[in-house]
Amino acid sequence: MPHRALLELRNVTIKFGGLIAVNDLSFTVNEGEIVGLIGPNGAGKTTVFNLISGVYRPTKGEIYFNGENIVGLKPYQVCQKGIGRTFQLVKPFGNKTVLYNVMVGAFLHTNNTHVSREKALEVLKLVGLHHRKDMLAKNLTIVDRKKLEVAKALATEPKLLLLDEVLAGLNPAEVNEAIEVIKRIHRAGVTILLIEHVLKAAMALSQRVVVIDYGRKIAEGPPEEVTNNPEVIKAYLGERYGAARN
Amino acid sequence: MARLASPRYYLPVLLILLLFALPLFVKSPYYLHIMAMVLFWAYMATAWNIVGGFAGQLSLGHGAYVAAGAYTSSLLFAYLGISPWFGMFIGGLVAGLMGFLVGYPTLRLRGAYYALATVGFAEGFRVILTNTTHIGKWKTGGAEGFMIPLLGNAPQHMQFISKVPYYYLILVLFLILVLICRWIDGSKLGYYLTALREDEDAALALGINTARVKLVAATLSAFFAGVGGVFYAQLIRYLEPNAIAGPIMSNQIVFLAIVGGRGTVLGPALGGLVLTLIGEITRVVFNQIMGLHLFLYGLLVVLFVIFKPRGLIEFLEVLWNRLVNLLERREGKHAA
Ligand SMILES: Nc1ncnc2c1ncn2[C@@H]1O[C@H](COP(=O)(O)OP(=O)(O)OP(=O)(O)O)[C@@H](O)[C@H]1O
Ligand SMILES: [Mg+2]
Repeated sequence: MPHRALLELRNVTIKFGGLIAVNDLSFTVNEGEIVGLIGPNGAGKTTVFNLISGVYRPTKGEIYFNGENIVGLKPYQVCQKGIGRTFQLVKPFGNKTVLYNVMVGAFLHTNNTHVSREKALEVLKLVGLHHRKDMLAKNLTIVDRKKLEVAKALATEPKLLLLDEVLAGLNPAEVNEAIEVIKRIHRAGVTILLIEHVLKAAMALSQRVVVIDYGRKIAEGPPEEVTNNPEVIKAYLGERYGAARN
Repeated sequence: MARLASPRYYLPVLLILLLFALPLFVKSPYYLHIMAMVLFWAYMATAWNIVGGFAGQLSLGHGAYVAAGAYTSSLLFAYLGISPWFGMFIGGLVAGLMGFLVGYPTLRLRGAYYALATVGFAEGFRVILTNTTHIGKWKTGGAEGFMIPLLGNAPQHMQFISKVPYYYLILVLFLILVLICRWIDGSKLGYYLTALREDEDAALALGINTARVKLVAATLSAFFAGVGGVFYAQLIRYLEPNAIAGPIMSNQIVFLAIVGGRGTVLGPALGGLVLTLIGEITRVVFNQIMGLHLFLYGLLVVLFVIFKPRGLIEFLEVLWNRLVNLLERREGKHAA
Protein backbone atom coordinates (compact mmCIF):
# COMPACT_ATOMS: atom_id res chain seq x y z
CA MET A 1 0.00 0.00 0.00
CA PRO A 2 1.35 3.45 -0.84
CA HIS A 3 2.04 5.64 2.18
CA ARG A 4 -0.89 7.99 2.32
CA ALA A 5 -0.85 10.30 5.31
CA LEU A 6 -4.20 10.07 7.05
CA LEU A 7 -3.20 12.36 9.90
CA GLU A 8 -0.47 14.93 9.86
CA LEU A 9 0.60 17.30 12.62
CA ARG A 10 2.73 20.21 11.45
CA ASN A 11 4.67 22.20 14.04
CA VAL A 12 1.90 21.99 16.58
CA THR A 13 2.41 23.98 19.77
CA ILE A 14 0.12 24.67 22.69
CA LYS A 15 0.81 26.78 25.74
CA PHE A 16 -1.13 26.75 28.97
CA GLY A 17 -0.10 30.02 30.54
CA GLY A 18 3.65 29.70 30.90
CA LEU A 19 3.71 25.94 30.33
CA ILE A 20 4.44 24.70 26.81
CA ALA A 21 2.61 21.38 26.93
CA VAL A 22 3.24 20.51 23.29
CA ASN A 23 6.20 22.06 21.56
CA ASP A 24 6.61 22.29 17.77
CA LEU A 25 5.44 18.74 17.27
CA SER A 26 5.24 17.20 13.81
CA PHE A 27 4.47 13.64 12.85
CA THR A 28 2.22 11.69 10.50
CA VAL A 29 0.05 8.61 10.73
CA ASN A 30 -0.41 6.75 7.47
CA GLU A 31 -3.54 4.98 6.46
CA GLY A 32 -3.63 1.42 7.82
CA GLU A 33 -0.91 1.93 10.40
CA ILE A 34 -0.80 1.41 14.14
CA VAL A 35 1.36 4.17 15.57
CA GLY A 36 2.35 4.40 19.21
CA LEU A 37 2.68 7.74 20.98
CA ILE A 38 4.81 7.22 24.05
CA GLY A 39 6.55 9.27 26.66
CA PRO A 40 6.89 9.63 30.41
CA ASN A 41 4.22 11.03 32.75
CA GLY A 42 3.17 14.53 31.87
CA ALA A 43 5.01 14.47 28.53
CA GLY A 44 1.98 15.90 26.74
CA LYS A 45 0.48 12.76 25.17
CA THR A 46 -3.12 13.34 26.23
CA THR A 47 -2.78 16.98 25.24
CA VAL A 48 -1.86 15.84 21.72
CA PHE A 49 -5.12 13.86 21.59
CA ASN A 50 -7.05 16.85 22.87
CA LEU A 51 -5.50 18.96 20.12
CA ILE A 52 -6.33 16.46 17.40
CA SER A 53 -9.88 15.95 18.61
CA GLY A 54 -10.62 19.66 18.87
CA VAL A 55 -10.86 19.96 22.65
CA TYR A 56 -7.97 22.45 22.54
CA ARG A 57 -6.96 24.70 19.72
CA PRO A 58 -3.21 24.79 19.05
CA THR A 59 -1.41 28.05 19.79
CA LYS A 60 0.54 27.40 16.57
CA GLY A 61 0.63 24.82 13.80
CA GLU A 62 -1.75 22.82 11.66
CA ILE A 63 -3.39 19.45 11.89
CA TYR A 64 -4.40 17.73 8.66
CA PHE A 65 -6.81 14.86 8.43
CA ASN A 66 -7.38 13.36 5.01
CA GLY A 67 -5.59 16.38 3.58
CA GLU A 68 -7.91 18.86 5.27
CA ASN A 69 -6.85 21.26 8.00
CA ILE A 70 -9.06 20.42 10.97
CA VAL A 71 -7.76 23.10 13.34
CA GLY A 72 -10.68 25.06 14.72
CA LEU A 73 -13.25 22.30 14.32
CA LYS A 74 -15.33 21.44 17.38
CA PRO A 75 -14.88 17.99 18.94
CA TYR A 76 -18.17 16.72 17.49
CA GLN A 77 -17.13 17.90 14.02
CA VAL A 78 -13.79 16.15 14.30
CA CYS A 79 -15.65 12.97 15.21
CA GLN A 80 -17.95 13.43 12.25
CA LYS A 81 -14.89 13.71 9.99
CA GLY A 82 -13.91 10.20 11.08
CA ILE A 83 -11.69 10.49 14.13
CA GLY A 84 -12.82 8.52 17.17
CA ARG A 85 -11.18 8.84 20.57
CA THR A 86 -11.19 7.30 24.02
CA PHE A 87 -10.53 9.14 27.26
CA GLN A 88 -7.73 8.19 29.60
CA LEU A 89 -10.17 8.66 32.45
CA VAL A 90 -12.99 6.68 30.93
CA LYS A 91 -16.30 8.47 30.47
CA PRO A 92 -19.12 5.95 30.44
CA PHE A 93 -22.76 7.04 30.59
CA GLY A 94 -22.90 5.31 33.95
CA ASN A 95 -26.64 5.04 34.54
CA LYS A 96 -27.28 3.43 31.20
CA THR A 97 -26.62 -0.07 29.91
CA VAL A 98 -23.57 -1.02 27.90
CA LEU A 99 -25.71 -1.41 24.80
CA TYR A 100 -27.26 2.03 25.31
CA ASN A 101 -23.79 3.56 25.62
CA VAL A 102 -22.61 2.07 22.36
CA MET A 103 -25.84 2.93 20.56
CA VAL A 104 -25.19 6.60 21.29
CA GLY A 105 -22.06 6.31 19.18
CA ALA A 106 -23.79 4.23 16.51
CA PHE A 107 -26.43 6.92 15.99
CA LEU A 108 -23.83 9.04 14.21
CA HIS A 109 -24.63 7.40 10.89
CA THR A 110 -28.31 6.60 11.31
CA ASN A 111 -31.51 8.01 12.74
CA ASN A 112 -33.03 4.59 13.08
CA THR A 113 -32.99 2.91 16.48
CA HIS A 114 -32.97 -0.62 15.04
CA VAL A 115 -30.06 0.10 12.73
CA SER A 116 -28.19 1.70 15.63
CA ARG A 117 -28.85 -1.31 17.86
CA GLU A 118 -27.63 -3.77 15.22
CA LYS A 119 -24.47 -1.73 14.67
CA ALA A 120 -23.86 -1.49 18.43
CA LEU A 121 -24.28 -5.23 18.91
CA GLU A 122 -21.81 -5.88 16.11
CA VAL A 123 -19.25 -3.57 17.76
CA LEU A 124 -19.84 -5.20 21.15
CA LYS A 125 -19.03 -8.58 19.63
CA LEU A 126 -15.87 -7.17 18.09
CA VAL A 127 -14.53 -5.87 21.41
CA GLY A 128 -15.79 -8.88 23.37
CA LEU A 129 -18.35 -7.13 25.49
CA HIS A 130 -21.48 -8.68 24.07
CA HIS A 131 -22.16 -10.76 27.17
CA ARG A 132 -22.33 -7.57 29.24
CA LYS A 133 -24.68 -5.65 26.99
CA ASP A 134 -27.49 -5.32 29.53
CA MET A 135 -25.30 -4.33 32.46
CA LEU A 136 -25.25 -0.76 33.72
CA ALA A 137 -22.01 0.89 32.65
CA LYS A 138 -21.20 2.02 36.18
CA ASN A 139 -21.16 -1.60 37.37
CA LEU A 140 -18.47 -2.74 34.92
CA THR A 141 -14.99 -3.85 35.94
CA ILE A 142 -11.99 -1.78 34.87
CA VAL A 143 -11.17 -3.93 31.88
CA ASP A 144 -14.75 -3.88 30.66
CA ARG A 145 -14.97 -0.12 31.13
CA LYS A 146 -11.96 0.26 28.88
CA LYS A 147 -13.54 -2.01 26.31
CA LEU A 148 -16.74 0.03 26.51
CA GLU A 149 -14.77 3.20 25.95
CA VAL A 150 -13.30 1.68 22.81
CA ALA A 151 -16.67 0.30 21.69
CA LYS A 152 -18.37 3.69 21.94
CA ALA A 153 -15.71 5.35 19.81
CA LEU A 154 -15.71 2.46 17.36
CA ALA A 155 -19.47 2.64 16.90
CA THR A 156 -19.03 6.04 15.23
CA GLU A 157 -17.16 4.15 12.45
CA PRO A 158 -13.94 6.15 12.61
CA LYS A 159 -11.21 5.95 10.00
CA LEU A 160 -8.72 6.88 12.70
CA LEU A 161 -9.02 5.75 16.30
CA LEU A 162 -7.16 7.49 19.11
CA LEU A 163 -6.66 5.22 22.11
CA ASP A 164 -5.46 6.86 25.32
CA GLU A 165 -3.83 4.31 27.65
CA VAL A 166 -6.46 1.65 27.21
CA LEU A 167 -4.05 -0.94 28.60
CA ALA A 168 -3.21 0.91 31.79
CA GLY A 169 -4.47 -0.68 34.97
CA LEU A 170 -5.03 -4.09 33.40
CA ASN A 171 -3.38 -7.29 34.63
CA PRO A 172 -1.09 -9.21 32.21
CA ALA A 173 -3.83 -11.58 31.04
CA GLU A 174 -6.17 -8.67 30.43
CA VAL A 175 -3.45 -6.78 28.58
CA ASN A 176 -3.01 -9.70 26.19
CA GLU A 177 -6.73 -9.90 25.65
CA ALA A 178 -6.95 -6.15 25.00
CA ILE A 179 -4.04 -6.34 22.55
CA GLU A 180 -5.97 -8.97 20.59
CA VAL A 181 -9.00 -6.66 20.53
CA ILE A 182 -6.93 -3.79 19.18
CA LYS A 183 -5.43 -6.03 16.51
CA ARG A 184 -8.93 -7.15 15.51
CA ILE A 185 -10.04 -3.52 15.18
CA HIS A 186 -6.98 -2.79 13.07
CA ARG A 187 -7.70 -5.77 10.82
CA ALA A 188 -11.21 -4.40 10.35
CA GLY A 189 -9.57 -1.48 8.54
CA VAL A 190 -9.20 1.16 11.25
CA THR A 191 -6.00 3.19 11.48
CA ILE A 192 -4.85 3.51 15.09
CA LEU A 193 -2.84 6.04 17.08
CA LEU A 194 -2.35 4.82 20.60
CA ILE A 195 -0.87 6.32 23.72
CA GLU A 196 0.89 3.96 26.03
CA HIS A 197 2.80 4.68 29.14
CA VAL A 198 3.96 1.09 29.34
CA LEU A 199 6.59 0.65 26.67
CA LYS A 200 6.29 -3.08 26.25
CA ALA A 201 2.63 -3.05 25.31
CA ALA A 202 3.13 -0.19 22.88
CA MET A 203 6.03 -2.02 21.28
CA ALA A 204 3.99 -5.19 20.84
CA LEU A 205 1.31 -3.35 18.88
CA SER A 206 2.90 -0.50 17.04
CA GLN A 207 4.56 -0.60 13.66
CA ARG A 208 6.08 2.76 14.43
CA VAL A 209 6.40 4.85 17.56
CA VAL A 210 6.72 8.55 18.24
CA VAL A 211 8.37 9.43 21.53
CA ILE A 212 7.72 12.76 23.22
CA ASP A 213 9.17 14.29 26.34
CA TYR A 214 8.29 17.70 27.73
CA GLY A 215 6.00 18.20 24.73
CA ARG A 216 8.84 17.72 22.23
CA LYS A 217 9.43 14.81 19.86
CA ILE A 218 12.66 13.14 20.89
CA ALA A 219 12.56 10.07 18.65
CA GLU A 220 10.55 8.33 15.97
CA GLY A 221 10.86 4.98 14.20
CA PRO A 222 10.32 1.24 14.46
CA PRO A 223 9.96 0.08 18.09
CA GLU A 224 13.25 -1.85 18.35
CA GLU A 225 15.21 1.09 17.01
CA VAL A 226 13.58 3.61 19.32
CA THR A 227 14.18 1.57 22.48
CA ASN A 228 17.89 1.73 21.82
CA ASN A 229 17.85 5.49 21.33
CA PRO A 230 19.93 7.10 24.12
CA GLU A 231 17.57 10.06 24.48
CA VAL A 232 14.60 7.78 24.97
CA ILE A 233 16.47 5.71 27.52
CA LYS A 234 17.41 8.90 29.33
CA ALA A 235 13.83 10.19 29.36
CA TYR A 236 12.51 6.97 30.81
CA LEU A 237 15.44 6.33 33.17
CA GLY A 238 15.27 9.90 34.37
CA GLU A 239 11.68 9.33 35.23
CA ARG A 240 12.45 6.12 37.05
CA TYR A 241 15.14 7.79 39.11
CA GLY A 242 12.70 10.61 39.74
CA ALA A 243 10.14 8.12 40.94
CA ALA A 244 12.72 6.37 43.13
CA ARG A 245 13.62 9.62 44.79
CA ASN A 246 10.03 10.28 45.92
CA MET B 1 -55.28 -8.29 19.91
CA ALA B 2 -52.94 -10.86 21.43
CA ARG B 3 -50.82 -7.97 22.64
CA LEU B 4 -53.74 -6.47 24.48
CA ALA B 5 -54.01 -9.68 26.46
CA SER B 6 -50.78 -8.82 28.28
CA PRO B 7 -51.14 -6.73 31.43
CA ARG B 8 -48.29 -4.57 30.15
CA TYR B 9 -50.70 -3.26 27.55
CA TYR B 10 -54.13 -3.54 29.05
CA LEU B 11 -53.20 -1.95 32.39
CA PRO B 12 -52.20 1.42 30.87
CA VAL B 13 -55.27 1.26 28.64
CA LEU B 14 -57.47 0.65 31.68
CA LEU B 15 -55.79 3.50 33.52
CA ILE B 16 -56.42 5.90 30.65
CA LEU B 17 -60.05 4.75 30.39
CA LEU B 18 -60.41 5.38 34.11
CA LEU B 19 -59.05 8.92 33.69
CA PHE B 20 -61.61 9.50 30.95
CA ALA B 21 -64.40 8.04 33.06
CA LEU B 22 -63.67 10.08 36.21
CA PRO B 23 -66.07 12.96 35.41
CA LEU B 24 -68.88 10.37 35.32
CA PHE B 25 -68.38 9.91 39.05
CA VAL B 26 -67.15 13.32 40.13
CA LYS B 27 -69.78 15.99 39.72
CA SER B 28 -68.60 18.72 42.08
CA PRO B 29 -67.07 21.67 40.16
CA TYR B 30 -64.63 22.14 43.02
CA TYR B 31 -63.22 18.64 42.68
CA LEU B 32 -63.28 18.80 38.90
CA HIS B 33 -61.24 21.99 39.10
CA ILE B 34 -58.72 20.31 41.38
CA MET B 35 -58.51 17.34 39.02
CA ALA B 36 -57.87 19.66 36.10
CA MET B 37 -55.18 21.47 38.12
CA VAL B 38 -53.54 18.18 39.07
CA LEU B 39 -53.32 17.28 35.39
CA PHE B 40 -52.10 20.78 34.59
CA TRP B 41 -49.19 20.44 37.02
CA ALA B 42 -48.46 16.92 35.77
CA TYR B 43 -48.41 18.36 32.26
CA MET B 44 -46.12 21.26 33.20
CA ALA B 45 -43.64 19.03 35.00
CA THR B 46 -43.58 16.72 31.96
CA ALA B 47 -42.95 19.67 29.64
CA TRP B 48 -40.15 20.99 31.87
CA ASN B 49 -38.61 17.52 31.96
CA ILE B 50 -37.69 17.66 28.27
CA VAL B 51 -34.97 20.19 28.99
CA GLY B 52 -34.67 19.83 32.77
CA GLY B 53 -34.73 16.05 32.87
CA PHE B 54 -33.86 14.52 29.51
CA ALA B 55 -31.22 17.13 28.72
CA GLY B 56 -30.28 17.65 32.38
CA GLN B 57 -30.26 21.45 32.08
CA LEU B 58 -31.75 22.87 35.25
CA SER B 59 -34.10 25.57 33.98
CA LEU B 60 -35.53 27.67 36.78
CA GLY B 61 -37.40 30.05 34.53
CA HIS B 62 -40.21 28.09 32.92
CA GLY B 63 -42.79 30.49 34.34
CA ALA B 64 -41.75 32.90 31.60
CA TYR B 65 -42.86 30.42 28.92
CA VAL B 66 -46.13 29.70 30.70
CA ALA B 67 -46.74 33.44 30.80
CA ALA B 68 -45.68 33.92 27.18
CA GLY B 69 -48.24 31.36 26.03
CA ALA B 70 -50.98 32.65 28.35
CA TYR B 71 -50.55 36.33 27.49
CA THR B 72 -50.20 35.69 23.76
CA SER B 73 -53.42 33.75 23.38
CA SER B 74 -55.33 35.99 25.80
CA LEU B 75 -54.33 39.26 24.12
CA LEU B 76 -54.99 37.84 20.66
CA PHE B 77 -58.41 36.76 21.85
CA ALA B 78 -59.31 39.97 23.68
CA TYR B 79 -58.18 42.38 20.98
CA LEU B 80 -58.27 40.48 17.69
CA GLY B 81 -60.94 37.92 18.49
CA ILE B 82 -58.63 35.04 17.62
CA SER B 83 -59.96 31.90 19.25
CA PRO B 84 -57.70 30.40 21.93
CA TRP B 85 -57.96 27.08 20.07
CA PHE B 86 -55.79 28.73 17.46
CA GLY B 87 -54.10 30.93 20.04
CA MET B 88 -52.82 27.78 21.69
CA PHE B 89 -50.51 27.13 18.75
CA ILE B 90 -49.44 30.74 18.47
CA GLY B 91 -48.88 30.92 22.23
CA GLY B 92 -46.83 27.73 22.05
CA LEU B 93 -44.80 29.08 19.15
CA VAL B 94 -44.12 32.39 20.90
CA ALA B 95 -43.01 30.52 24.02
CA GLY B 96 -40.92 28.17 21.90
CA LEU B 97 -39.25 31.11 20.21
CA MET B 98 -38.52 32.57 23.63
CA GLY B 99 -37.06 29.25 24.74
CA PHE B 100 -34.86 29.31 21.66
CA LEU B 101 -33.74 32.90 22.30
CA VAL B 102 -32.96 32.18 25.95
CA GLY B 103 -31.31 28.90 25.00
CA TYR B 104 -29.01 30.32 22.38
CA PRO B 105 -26.76 32.55 24.51
CA THR B 106 -26.87 30.14 27.47
CA LEU B 107 -25.78 27.06 25.51
CA ARG B 108 -22.24 27.15 26.68
CA LEU B 109 -23.12 27.60 30.32
CA ARG B 110 -22.99 24.51 32.46
CA GLY B 111 -24.69 23.58 35.74
CA ALA B 112 -25.47 26.37 38.16
CA TYR B 113 -24.57 29.08 35.66
CA TYR B 114 -27.22 27.90 33.25
CA ALA B 115 -29.76 27.77 36.09
CA LEU B 116 -28.85 31.33 37.14
CA ALA B 117 -29.17 32.60 33.59
CA THR B 118 -32.68 31.16 33.28
CA VAL B 119 -33.66 32.80 36.56
CA GLY B 120 -32.34 36.09 35.22
CA PHE B 121 -34.32 35.90 31.98
CA ALA B 122 -37.53 34.84 33.69
CA GLU B 123 -37.29 37.55 36.33
CA GLY B 124 -36.61 40.10 33.64
CA PHE B 125 -39.70 38.97 31.78
CA ARG B 126 -41.81 39.07 34.95
CA VAL B 127 -40.68 42.62 35.70
CA ILE B 128 -41.50 43.67 32.14
CA LEU B 129 -44.98 42.16 32.45
CA THR B 130 -45.51 43.84 35.81
CA ASN B 131 -44.50 47.24 34.51
CA THR B 132 -46.12 47.17 31.11
CA THR B 133 -49.72 48.35 31.24
CA HIS B 134 -50.18 48.76 27.51
CA ILE B 135 -48.75 47.33 24.31
CA GLY B 136 -49.75 49.96 21.77
CA LYS B 137 -53.49 50.28 22.22
CA TRP B 138 -53.80 46.94 23.96
CA LYS B 139 -54.19 47.11 27.69
CA THR B 140 -52.20 44.35 29.38
CA GLY B 141 -52.87 45.39 32.96
CA GLY B 142 -49.34 45.38 34.34
CA ALA B 143 -49.16 44.36 37.99
CA GLU B 144 -52.94 44.42 38.31
CA GLY B 145 -53.17 41.54 35.95
CA PHE B 146 -55.25 40.81 32.91
CA MET B 147 -58.86 39.56 32.84
CA ILE B 148 -59.95 37.41 29.94
CA PRO B 149 -63.35 38.61 28.71
CA LEU B 150 -66.01 36.21 29.92
CA LEU B 151 -68.39 34.95 27.23
CA GLY B 152 -70.28 32.35 29.22
CA ASN B 153 -70.54 29.06 27.40
CA ALA B 154 -68.48 29.55 24.24
CA PRO B 155 -66.83 26.27 23.19
CA GLN B 156 -65.54 27.89 20.01
CA HIS B 157 -63.49 30.22 22.25
CA MET B 158 -62.47 27.56 24.75
CA GLN B 159 -64.77 28.84 27.44
CA PHE B 160 -67.13 26.57 29.29
CA ILE B 161 -69.52 26.92 32.21
CA SER B 162 -68.89 23.35 33.26
CA LYS B 163 -65.44 22.23 34.45
CA VAL B 164 -65.75 18.92 32.62
CA PRO B 165 -64.51 20.16 29.22
CA TYR B 166 -61.48 21.73 30.88
CA TYR B 167 -60.69 18.44 32.52
CA TYR B 168 -60.91 16.59 29.21
CA LEU B 169 -58.88 19.24 27.42
CA ILE B 170 -55.94 19.05 29.82
CA LEU B 171 -56.24 15.26 29.94
CA VAL B 172 -55.85 15.06 26.17
CA LEU B 173 -52.99 17.59 26.15
CA PHE B 174 -51.28 15.64 28.91
CA LEU B 175 -51.63 12.29 27.14
CA ILE B 176 -50.31 13.74 23.88
CA LEU B 177 -47.31 15.18 25.69
CA VAL B 178 -46.57 11.90 27.45
CA LEU B 179 -46.70 10.07 24.11
CA ILE B 180 -44.31 12.61 22.59
CA CYS B 181 -41.92 12.24 25.53
CA ARG B 182 -42.08 8.48 25.25
CA TRP B 183 -41.19 8.75 21.61
CA ILE B 184 -38.32 11.15 22.35
CA ASP B 185 -37.01 8.83 25.03
CA GLY B 186 -36.63 5.92 22.64
CA SER B 187 -35.37 7.92 19.66
CA LYS B 188 -31.98 9.24 18.61
CA LEU B 189 -32.84 12.57 20.24
CA GLY B 190 -33.47 10.79 23.53
CA TYR B 191 -30.16 8.95 23.37
CA TYR B 192 -28.36 12.19 22.56
CA LEU B 193 -30.05 14.08 25.38
CA THR B 194 -29.13 11.33 27.81
CA ALA B 195 -25.52 11.38 26.63
CA LEU B 196 -25.44 15.14 27.07
CA ARG B 197 -26.85 14.85 30.58
CA GLU B 198 -24.51 12.07 31.65
CA ASP B 199 -21.26 13.52 30.27
CA GLU B 200 -21.13 16.40 27.83
CA ASP B 201 -17.48 15.87 26.86
CA ALA B 202 -18.09 12.20 26.10
CA ALA B 203 -21.15 13.19 24.06
CA LEU B 204 -19.10 15.67 22.03
CA ALA B 205 -16.47 13.04 21.36
CA LEU B 206 -19.17 10.79 19.87
CA GLY B 207 -20.04 13.38 17.26
CA ILE B 208 -22.99 14.93 19.07
CA ASN B 209 -23.57 18.61 18.48
CA THR B 210 -24.52 19.14 22.10
CA ALA B 211 -25.30 22.82 21.63
CA ARG B 212 -27.89 22.01 19.00
CA VAL B 213 -29.39 19.16 21.01
CA LYS B 214 -29.74 21.48 24.01
CA LEU B 215 -31.41 24.09 21.87
CA VAL B 216 -33.89 21.59 20.46
CA ALA B 217 -34.77 20.43 23.97
CA ALA B 218 -35.08 23.98 25.31
CA THR B 219 -37.32 25.03 22.41
CA LEU B 220 -39.60 21.98 22.60
CA SER B 221 -39.90 22.30 26.35
CA ALA B 222 -40.77 25.99 26.14
CA PHE B 223 -43.30 25.30 23.38
CA PHE B 224 -45.21 22.82 25.51
CA ALA B 225 -44.96 25.05 28.57
CA GLY B 226 -46.50 27.83 26.46
CA VAL B 227 -49.37 25.58 25.35
CA GLY B 228 -49.93 24.72 29.02
CA GLY B 229 -49.99 28.42 29.78
CA VAL B 230 -52.83 28.92 27.31
CA PHE B 231 -54.85 26.22 29.03
CA TYR B 232 -54.14 27.79 32.41
CA ALA B 233 -55.28 31.18 31.14
CA GLN B 234 -58.58 29.72 29.93
CA LEU B 235 -59.20 27.82 33.15
CA ILE B 236 -58.39 30.68 35.54
CA ARG B 237 -59.34 33.52 33.15
CA TYR B 238 -57.13 35.88 35.08
CA LEU B 239 -53.42 36.45 34.47
CA GLU B 240 -51.29 37.89 37.21
CA PRO B 241 -47.61 38.34 36.34
CA ASN B 242 -46.30 37.40 39.77
CA ALA B 243 -48.32 34.21 39.94
CA ILE B 244 -47.87 33.04 36.39
CA ALA B 245 -44.40 34.25 35.39
CA GLY B 246 -42.80 34.36 38.82
CA PRO B 247 -40.75 31.95 40.89
CA ILE B 248 -43.87 30.34 42.38
CA MET B 249 -44.70 28.93 38.96
CA SER B 250 -41.12 28.27 37.85
CA ASN B 251 -39.96 26.60 41.03
CA GLN B 252 -43.07 24.56 41.62
CA ILE B 253 -42.69 22.89 38.23
CA VAL B 254 -39.12 21.95 39.08
CA PHE B 255 -40.05 20.60 42.53
CA LEU B 256 -42.69 18.32 41.05
CA ALA B 257 -40.35 16.95 38.42
CA ILE B 258 -37.52 16.32 40.86
CA VAL B 259 -39.67 14.58 43.46
CA GLY B 260 -41.37 12.54 40.73
CA GLY B 261 -38.20 11.51 38.91
CA ARG B 262 -36.25 13.80 36.62
CA GLY B 263 -35.32 12.38 33.25
CA THR B 264 -37.92 9.61 33.20
CA VAL B 265 -41.00 9.74 30.99
CA LEU B 266 -43.63 9.42 33.70
CA GLY B 267 -41.79 10.52 36.85
CA PRO B 268 -42.51 14.26 36.56
CA ALA B 269 -46.19 13.60 35.93
CA LEU B 270 -46.31 11.35 38.97
CA GLY B 271 -44.66 14.10 41.02
CA GLY B 272 -47.25 16.56 39.71
CA LEU B 273 -50.08 14.25 40.66
CA VAL B 274 -48.91 13.33 44.15
CA LEU B 275 -47.57 16.73 45.23
CA THR B 276 -50.52 18.71 43.92
CA LEU B 277 -52.88 16.42 45.82
CA ILE B 278 -50.78 16.79 48.98
CA GLY B 279 -50.73 20.55 48.38
CA GLU B 280 -54.52 20.71 48.05
CA ILE B 281 -55.03 18.66 51.19
CA THR B 282 -52.70 20.84 53.26
CA ARG B 283 -54.45 23.91 51.90
CA VAL B 284 -57.79 22.58 53.13
CA VAL B 285 -56.53 21.30 56.47
CA PHE B 286 -54.21 24.19 57.34
CA ASN B 287 -56.00 26.90 55.43
CA GLN B 288 -54.74 29.65 57.72
CA ILE B 289 -51.06 29.00 56.90
CA MET B 290 -50.52 30.42 53.41
CA GLY B 291 -47.77 28.87 51.35
CA LEU B 292 -47.41 25.84 53.58
CA HIS B 293 -47.65 23.57 50.57
CA LEU B 294 -44.60 25.23 49.02
CA PHE B 295 -42.70 24.65 52.21
CA LEU B 296 -43.73 21.00 52.10
CA TYR B 297 -42.63 20.71 48.46
CA GLY B 298 -39.24 22.13 49.41
CA LEU B 299 -38.91 19.63 52.22
CA LEU B 300 -39.85 16.77 49.92
CA VAL B 301 -37.27 17.88 47.37
CA VAL B 302 -34.58 17.81 50.05
CA LEU B 303 -35.64 14.37 51.26
CA PHE B 304 -35.85 12.91 47.79
CA VAL B 305 -32.58 14.35 46.56
CA ILE B 306 -30.85 12.81 49.57
CA PHE B 307 -32.65 9.49 49.96
CA LYS B 308 -34.36 8.69 46.66
CA PRO B 309 -32.61 10.68 43.93
CA ARG B 310 -34.44 8.73 41.23
CA GLY B 311 -37.74 9.97 42.61
CA LEU B 312 -41.20 8.62 43.28
CA ILE B 313 -41.18 6.78 39.99
CA GLU B 314 -38.93 4.17 41.55
CA PHE B 315 -41.71 3.10 43.94
CA LEU B 316 -44.17 3.03 41.08
CA GLU B 317 -41.89 0.89 38.95
CA VAL B 318 -41.52 -1.69 41.72
CA LEU B 319 -45.27 -1.72 42.30
CA TRP B 320 -45.95 -1.89 38.60
CA ASN B 321 -43.62 -4.83 38.00
CA ARG B 322 -45.14 -6.74 40.91
CA LEU B 323 -48.62 -6.15 39.61
CA VAL B 324 -47.72 -7.17 36.08
CA ASN B 325 -45.97 -10.32 37.29
CA LEU B 326 -48.89 -11.23 39.50
CA LEU B 327 -51.37 -10.79 36.68
CA GLU B 328 -49.20 -12.68 34.21
CA ARG B 329 -48.82 -15.59 36.60
CA ARG B 330 -52.54 -15.73 37.20
CA GLU B 331 -53.19 -15.76 33.51
CA GLY B 332 -50.57 -18.48 33.07
CA LYS B 333 -52.53 -20.62 35.53
CA HIS B 334 -55.78 -19.95 33.74
CA ALA B 335 -54.26 -21.00 30.47
CA ALA B 336 -52.82 -24.20 31.91
N1 LIG C 1 -5.94 22.26 30.41
C1 LIG C 1 -4.71 22.36 30.92
N2 LIG C 1 -4.32 23.48 31.58
C2 LIG C 1 -3.08 23.59 32.09
N3 LIG C 1 -2.14 22.63 31.98
C3 LIG C 1 -2.46 21.49 31.35
C4 LIG C 1 -3.76 21.30 30.78
N4 LIG C 1 -3.81 20.05 30.21
C5 LIG C 1 -2.59 19.53 30.42
N5 LIG C 1 -1.78 20.36 31.09
C6 LIG C 1 -0.37 20.12 31.46
O1 LIG C 1 0.29 19.71 30.31
C7 LIG C 1 1.26 18.71 30.62
C8 LIG C 1 1.02 17.50 29.78
O2 LIG C 1 -0.15 16.84 30.25
P1 LIG C 1 -0.74 15.55 29.56
O3 LIG C 1 -1.97 15.18 30.30
O4 LIG C 1 -0.87 15.77 28.12
O5 LIG C 1 0.40 14.47 29.83
P2 LIG C 1 0.43 12.93 29.48
O6 LIG C 1 1.62 12.70 28.66
O7 LIG C 1 -0.86 12.50 28.94
O8 LIG C 1 0.67 12.30 30.92
P3 LIG C 1 0.16 10.92 31.57
O9 LIG C 1 1.10 9.85 31.14
O10 LIG C 1 0.26 11.18 33.03
O11 LIG C 1 -1.23 10.72 31.11
C9 LIG C 1 1.16 18.48 32.11
O12 LIG C 1 2.15 19.22 32.74
C10 LIG C 1 -0.21 18.97 32.45
O13 LIG C 1 -0.26 19.43 33.78
MG1 LIG D 1 -2.35 11.25 29.56
